[in-house]
Amino acid sequence: MSVLDRLKQLLERDFSIPSASLDAGATLESLDIDSLRLIEIVFAVEDEFKVTMPQDQGEIRDRVKTLGDLANLIEGLALSRAGG
Amino acid sequence: MKRVVVTGMGAITPLGNDVGSFFDALAAGRSGVRRLEGPGIERLAIRVAAPVSFDPQPLFEPAKLRMLDRVSQFALVAAAQAVKDSGVTLGQLDRSRCGVCVGTGMAGAQSADDGYRTLYAENSDRLKPFTVLMAMNNAAASWIGLEYGFTGPNLTYSTACSSSAVAIGEAARRIAGGEAHLVIAGGAEACLNLGTLKAWEALRTLAMEDAKDPSASCKPFSKDRTGLVLGEGAAMLVLEERDRALARGAPIYAQIAGYGLVTDATHITRPSVEGQAAAIRAALADARMDGKDIGYVNAHGTGTQANDGVETAAIKSVFGETAYNVPVSSTKSMHGHLLGAAGAVELVAAIMAMQRGLIPPTRNLAVADPECDLDYVSSGARLVPGLAAVLSSSFAFGGTNAVLIARRDA
Repeated sequence: MSVLDRLKQLLERDFSIPSASLDAGATLESLDIDSLRLIEIVFAVEDEFKVTMPQDQGEIRDRVKTLGDLANLIEGLALSRAGG
Repeated sequence: MKRVVVTGMGAITPLGNDVGSFFDALAAGRSGVRRLEGPGIERLAIRVAAPVSFDPQPLFEPAKLRMLDRVSQFALVAAAQAVKDSGVTLGQLDRSRCGVCVGTGMAGAQSADDGYRTLYAENSDRLKPFTVLMAMNNAAASWIGLEYGFTGPNLTYSTACSSSAVAIGEAARRIAGGEAHLVIAGGAEACLNLGTLKAWEALRTLAMEDAKDPSASCKPFSKDRTGLVLGEGAAMLVLEERDRALARGAPIYAQIAGYGLVTDATHITRPSVEGQAAAIRAALADARMDGKDIGYVNAHGTGTQANDGVETAAIKSVFGETAYNVPVSSTKSMHGHLLGAAGAVELVAAIMAMQRGLIPPTRNLAVADPECDLDYVSSGARLVPGLAAVLSSSFAFGGTNAVLIARRDA
């Protein structure tokens, strides 16, 4: 399963976001993900994908505008971890 | 000064999760004290407490519940009951003149304890993302303010065991002075986690479990009392400026007639006859009343060696000979000591006593301490029709003594 699909599953299961609204282009805003909700999602993502997201919330917000951006960020982190 | 009335009440207690069932249990002399169960309890030397039976899942959206410590859950539910009971229409309020005053001793102690467990016991760095928001002392008051859109003062008082009596007294002052029209005031406490229980145990002030009947472990004024029993819960009251309450045809439970606030400044824990007596006198003076006007005293009555004799002496020093004629009871014998929520829960008990003309008893009092020689209503609830004024005392570690007087509205 792709990172994006696993992310969608996580958001639907743990954050009750309807799957129909979840696609790569969906913005955090359109999904009603405010700054606090994003922090929770970051925490859940770290658990699910065994990655460490940036500590700087500003950096996360700069890099993640859409669900696709979040999936790319996770993928990059997972790769850099795997590649050492 | 404007007059302040109580128009709504709500309660989550070890004896029931609404005001009616709480008072019915008190009147029946039932105890909410029992032996705790659950992980870690085997590490406690003292295992009796007065827990609340409460399932938050059906009451809150999951996303919101993840942000609420147990203390905020209690506070929100009690506040919702009180607001509903008051019949107030939020849309008709000037919400810039509405506020929230909450007392709590340990606030989000559960979330702090959870965080410490994760960090130190599990040696994990995965602390929950909302630990700060859940544990912060003003969370309960803030959530109530958010719920009702009240943009007036939103205040949290932490004066240990007098926290919520102070919150109610200070709220009443803001209304009396004209600053606020309506305040949701009360207290909440959810302190029955392992860390907090161990800390109280270390202070050696908790009651030993009664060998025959754990529910009888808290014995205020009794010769064989051994200490206090911790409880949890919340009570909230809707306080309003009287003319506004009358104008909207609100139900009126009582007037907040007097508030006395005096600090011992002598010792961090040891109670003082002079300090307690001064607080009672200050409340009577504020209400322009005499001891003989008070029909019932809901005592602080913790069941500790230190408090009960001192409190008895304080009542006698203020009331003089009439002290022997006024019924005094400690409902802590049934609901335990709710610390920061105690003052609010006990004021609700005292107001309900006035409503029903029925004084709740002091449970577990067979043989009184010779130092404790007042009428403690020890043989069951007592019918006193026409009860017109009641006094509720809250005396705290740190020495902040707060006394509230409520009277029938007329």
